[in-house]
Amino acid sequence: MRFSFMGKHNGSHPEENKSRTSKLPIVDASVPKIMIFPVSMHIGAPAKPIVEVGDQVKVGQILAEEGGFVSAHVYSSVSGEVIAIEKRGVIGGEADSIIVKNDYKYTKADPIVEPGRSQDMSKDEIISTVRKAGIVGMGGATFPTAVKLSPPPGMTIDTLIINGAECEPYSTSDHRVMVEHADEIVSGINLSRTLFPMLKRVYIGIEDNKPDAIKALEEASAEFDDIFVRPLKTMYPQGSEKNLIKNLAGREVSPGGLPAEVRCVVANTSTIRSCYRACEFGEPLIERIVSVSGTPIKEPKNLRVKIGTPMDSLIEDCGGFAEVPGKVLGGGPMMGKPVSDLGVPIIKGTTAITVLNPEEAEIGDEQDCIMCSECINVCPVSLQPILISEAFERGNIDKAKELGAMDCIECGNCSFICPSKIPLLDNIRSAKAAIKQKEEK
Amino acid sequence: MAQAIDVKGKLRVGPSPHIRSKRTSAWVMDQVLVALIPPVIAATFFFGWWVLVMVAIGISTAVASEYLYQKLTYKPIKIHDHSAAVTGMLIALSLPVTAPIWMIMFGSVFAIVLVKQMNGGIGRNYFNPAVAARVAIKAFFTPWLANWVLPAGLFGSGYRGVDAIGTATPLEFIGNGAQRVSEQVPGLWDLFVGFNLGGNVGETSKLAILIGMLYLIFRRIINPKVPILYIVTTFVVMGLWSSFNFDFMMTHVLTGTLFFGATYMATDYSSGSLTPEGKTVFAIGCGVLTAFFRITLDHPGGVGYSILIMNALAPFIDSKLMPRIYGHKSRPQTKFDRQSENS
Repeated sequence: MRFSFMGKHNGSHPEENKSRTSKLPIVDASVPKIMIFPVSMHIGAPAKPIVEVGDQVKVGQILAEEGGFVSAHVYSSVSGEVIAIEKRGVIGGEADSIIVKNDYKYTKADPIVEPGRSQDMSKDEIISTVRKAGIVGMGGATFPTAVKLSPPPGMTIDTLIINGAECEPYSTSDHRVMVEHADEIVSGINLSRTLFPMLKRVYIGIEDNKPDAIKALEEASAEFDDIFVRPLKTMYPQGSEKNLIKNLAGREVSPGGLPAEVRCVVANTSTIRSCYRACEFGEPLIERIVSVSGTPIKEPKNLRVKIGTPMDSLIEDCGGFAEVPGKVLGGGPMMGKPVSDLGVPIIKGTTAITVLNPEEAEIGDEQDCIMCSECINVCPVSLQPILISEAFERGNIDKAKELGAMDCIECGNCSFICPSKIPLLDNIRSAKAAIKQKEEK
Repeated sequence: MAQAIDVKGKLRVGPSPHIRSKRTSAWVMDQVLVALIPPVIAATFFFGWWVLVMVAIGISTAVASEYLYQKLTYKPIKIHDHSAAVTGMLIALSLPVTAPIWMIMFGSVFAIVLVKQMNGGIGRNYFNPAVAARVAIKAFFTPWLANWVLPAGLFGSGYRGVDAIGTATPLEFIGNGAQRVSEQVPGLWDLFVGFNLGGNVGETSKLAILIGMLYLIFRRIINPKVPILYIVTTFVVMGLWSSFNFDFMMTHVLTGTLFFGATYMATDYSSGSLTPEGKTVFAIGCGVLTAFFRITLDHPGGVGYSILIMNALAPFIDSKLMPRIYGHKSRPQTKFDRQSENS
């Protein structure tokens, strides 16, 4: 626990637990026989399957097409036969999924664009390539990137922020991408110069617990005067979009507003790298880096994973469990989603698999609030979580709204820090749902 | 290849966040108890072993009255949060060594039942139970309080209620309109360490309190700005009053309940301000009021009154100083109300 003299610091310091994987180079994950491709790996409309059971598919062949403007294509990451299209468990629920039986031949489909000409691409070409590649926010938000890169008319972008904070404990996938692929991140940044002609500066925000990543990106971006690698204090949730914009650009997004309204675009390191690879090599998004860690994991690793690989295959790659796990999460322990079945596939936004032992997953019994004000001190958007929670418990939805419930970014700091173990975020989420319901009436 | 460990049906689900910080409310209260150990040691050293009896009476009465109240009102028993123990300890330490046993017990019952439990229990009480109790004791039982008893040392006699020799408190020489330190007042070093200094047992050694304060700050139990701003404000106002007579200012800082109150009482969670800026106003308000009472009143007790008044104002202060939410232009416009009853 670190010491802060001011009391209010808009963040917390959960134990980082990154040391088991932060120095390990990325290695290829093994590819199992059965691959699962949910049609909904993103925020927005589910993709529509365009293959049928029995079809032979290739690596990089489209399985499902985007189902609307805010949507993304789904590609096969292996070659083989479509053996089923059915509902399967996914991280956070279930979804229609296309099941492909891997033939291990890795027959490749044609690249989505002609390789080697990313530098000559026009703005529209880049956006359409990103859209065609099915790229979504790979930091976990999974918002379709092509939509993000096309700000509404009238909004100009002068600041690009590359999010390399990776503030979630245990997770090291972005860390390794930055260390090993800094050049591709910088190439991705350079593509954005075509996208945003008014671009004045690019900030790469990296928590100061990753000095090797800071160094790698400083070296890779040395020749560009407008790219600034900015070390950020290691603090959760340093990587939240709103806080990055405030801490790096000194601007605040209005409630419910887009970063574009304050002339900013924020992209995750892996996302910008994928954009580059799509434009330069014609690669659709069929692979990502996933860190697998946690006390029960025997040999934690950073894995290059074909999207659609079930979790249990990756856990096996890491030597399996040394003890009975209490919780298995898609993502980190602060915002990740728990799974009840290890057969769920890795999707585009799965940054990490975090496994907690039963003791670590213990929440503790709820006690009365002692008014210590820690939840207020750690809230990154300066809410008063306990007051919203209490207003909701009293049934006072209007009060919860006045106190700013809708501004909550659901980072979980309040529930994490509470010494009385009050489920503050649960109550705030319920309050948000109740406010929405009330407004729809 | 099957996994060595079968996890089917064993995995827990449940919403994020999935980890919790290690501190619990009881642990937080324990830290306050730990921070009160230096004043207890100093008090025992200066006033004798009877102090330990006083502390034991304070804690046991407070915990017992909380238990009985919750039992008799069919509420869940919550003595395991250790907050009643803190209150009992504070009351024992804020009485002179001459205080009769029944007075410590009265204070503890008054604090726990009337001020804390009947106002909703932990986290809900608007007034600091220990402060309210000591002000009540002062109001009701002044004749029984020989406030200014010189210390008798570690092995000095125990309860000395009958034959104790009461003298005036230093505050009577520097308060009530005074602007200079008169010669009857002990030197600053004696005031700081507590040598040869009478008063409420836990409050005489500022050195011991300072150790407790630093412990609470570095354990991140209290916000440092509350005790620091409180003491500094009193110091500055006394400077304005005395045309910056340093001796006078320092004597005020090191006299009476100021250090003890600023460290252990103004920092109380439920009765203090909740918002970060509210805490600043709360602490400065305490400091200004304390200086005001010391200048105008002819009897001690200014710290207690100041904290109680600021306790009463805290919800109002908080409602005016709610933090501005990210991306909003102004502070939230809503009343600050805390539910009066724990479910």
